[in-house]
Amino acid sequence: MSPSVLICDDSNMARKQVLRSLPQEWKDSVQIACNGAEALTILRDNSIEILFLDLTMPGIDGIGVLQGIQKLNLDCSVFVISADIQPEMQSKVKALGAKEFMRKPVQSDALLNNLQQHGLI
Amino acid sequence: MNEFHLTEDQQDCLQELINIAMGQASDQLARYLDTFVYLKVPSIESVEASELMITLSQRKNTIAVVSQGFFGYEGIRGESLLIYQEEDSGRIADLLGYEPDELSQDEQLIDISSILTTTFLNVFAQQIDNQLSYNAPKLLPNVQEILSEHLQQMPFTWNLALKVNINYQVTDYSFNCNMIILIPETAITNIKYVLDRVLEEF
Amino acid sequence: MSNNKLFTTPIDANVPVVNELVFEQINSQITDQLNTGVLVLDADFNIVLWNRFLQVHTDKITDNIIGKSIFTAFPELPQRWLSRKLSSVLQLNTPSFCSWQQRHHLFELPHTRPITTDSEFMAQNCTFLPIESDTRDRHICILIEDVTDACHYQMQLQKTLAEIAQISRIDGLTQIYNRRHWQDSLEQEYAKARRHDKKLSLIMLDLDHFKLLNDNYGHQGGDMVLIEVSALISALLRVEDTFGRYGGEEFAIILPETDSAGAMELAHRICRVIATTPLTYNSQVINVTVSLGVAQLSCNESNYEELITQADSALYQAKSQGRNQVCSAPELVS
Repeated sequence: MSPSVLICDDSNMARKQVLRSLPQEWKDSVQIACNGAEALTILRDNSIEILFLDLTMPGIDGIGVLQGIQKLNLDCSVFVISADIQPEMQSKVKALGAKEFMRKPVQSDALLNNLQQHGLI
Repeated sequence: MNEFHLTEDQQDCLQELINIAMGQASDQLARYLDTFVYLKVPSIESVEASELMITLSQRKNTIAVVSQGFFGYEGIRGESLLIYQEEDSGRIADLLGYEPDELSQDEQLIDISSILTTTFLNVFAQQIDNQLSYNAPKLLPNVQEILSEHLQQMPFTWNLALKVNINYQVTDYSFNCNMIILIPETAITNIKYVLDRVLEEF
Repeated sequence: MSNNKLFTTPIDANVPVVNELVFEQINSQITDQLNTGVLVLDADFNIVLWNRFLQVHTDKITDNIIGKSIFTAFPELPQRWLSRKLSSVLQLNTPSFCSWQQRHHLFELPHTRPITTDSEFMAQNCTFLPIESDTRDRHICILIEDVTDACHYQMQLQKTLAEIAQISRIDGLTQIYNRRHWQDSLEQEYAKARRHDKKLSLIMLDLDHFKLLNDNYGHQGGDMVLIEVSALISALLRVEDTFGRYGGEEFAIILPETDSAGAMELAHRICRVIATTPLTYNSQVINVTVSLGVAQLSCNESNYEELITQADSALYQAKSQGRNQVCSAPELVS
């Protein structure tokens, strides 16, 4: 059984980058969100197990999504994938419940490693 | 839409590459300056040369423009312009870790410009497997009229300019400037080629 | 990426391969024959390598240089500032630059055109480049370019431009401002006074019977009078006043932040001084007088030209009332 996955990023290229790094058998059950608002709608209406989340997006940004998840009390493993890589930002998202912080451009092996570490594959 | 316009995919790819470059450059800068650099999403737009000319000439309080040329493999080349407003120039020496009497105001502007341009473009180049060299940065004299004159006198014609608005805020004081990257026609074709190659990898 | 290597194996098998040793020799000879200083430092700013250019220009011995801190070898360098700059190169892995336009030179090197330049040291453009090697040791390459010529010509150009700008403002005969510059100044002072609601007055003056002077003493005599009168008036003015030759024998003075009482007082003084100072030409004594018109900026004028017109009318009044006297614009109204 492949888990339900949501990829949230305003960049099409960045979404593709995440998608191609995922295990082959997961790819059919992946949903896409182009911004924070879209992501929150999908998160509310579906039970999403894994979220790959960009931080810098127009409108509701990644931080906003993390806060929304906390407020809705959703059980979802969030992996932040961001271009803003300063240590302060990393600790901020961890404090908001993100499982891991990955720098852009995301590397396939790093992503798989992280999934493994959290027992998701 | 002419041949120099980027397709939606190319635009998206470029935006992403620039976001990443900006993120890494700010991280490097924060470490170097030993402070937290608050990074806003860099707003990136490609603008027509004529539009840019109008925007720039309408700006009030521009006190300084620093220009720096860059060039790399595969015909990637251009010029960055860093544009400072009057209120942004006060504490650059502080920011850079110099004593104010160690260097003139002009030198401070040139120094910070060179650091912003080269850290950003270096990471950008890395992502597209390129390596850039830089000309010495130059402070354009008597900004007000000179800027549009400078744009008109450039040795190449350019249709498209990439305007990257950077906003750096540094812990206890803010520092703003605009970075404008001018890319000549021929180099745009080359950039499109490189972007397509990056896109193909997905 | 293959295209960022200079040293590569030729594709054509018939071309003899240059081995790395030869390649290295070529490189080091080029470095030594460059007309640019090359200095390589390690991460602690100790000198690892320099080229012949620096050796001959510094007159230092290689053995005393290699391994030394750059600040020991070149004590003239500003240590704190340069250390910070060098650190930025290492830490950010970016080049850094230093132009003669901001700092004439970093290294005290003699230059090759010692007579015609004003500095005893070579003007320099310096480039600081990060160098990465396989060993992970970080180095900095400093390139020192001799730009004494460019610097010299730039200075000459600036000096000449300043001279030209000055000449274009000055009246050749009297050495006071010419009409064009005087009028530009009035336009500015007018705008300033209007913006900040400040006082502004104007004096227009004219030599009396100048045509007669020219007829009696010749044009050279007339010229001498113009020169002497200009000098006499100049001596009576403040630095902020702008004194110009308006026409042949007509002069004009802009008096910022001065009301008509102040302007009248000055006009009377000028009138008196000119009338009581005999000028000599070819051992002949010449007595000259001037007529003056004064106007003060009020809310009535809509441009600076109107202020000139008023002062001019006052001057005409002074002429018609018998010359060698002062009239002010308000008197005309009454």
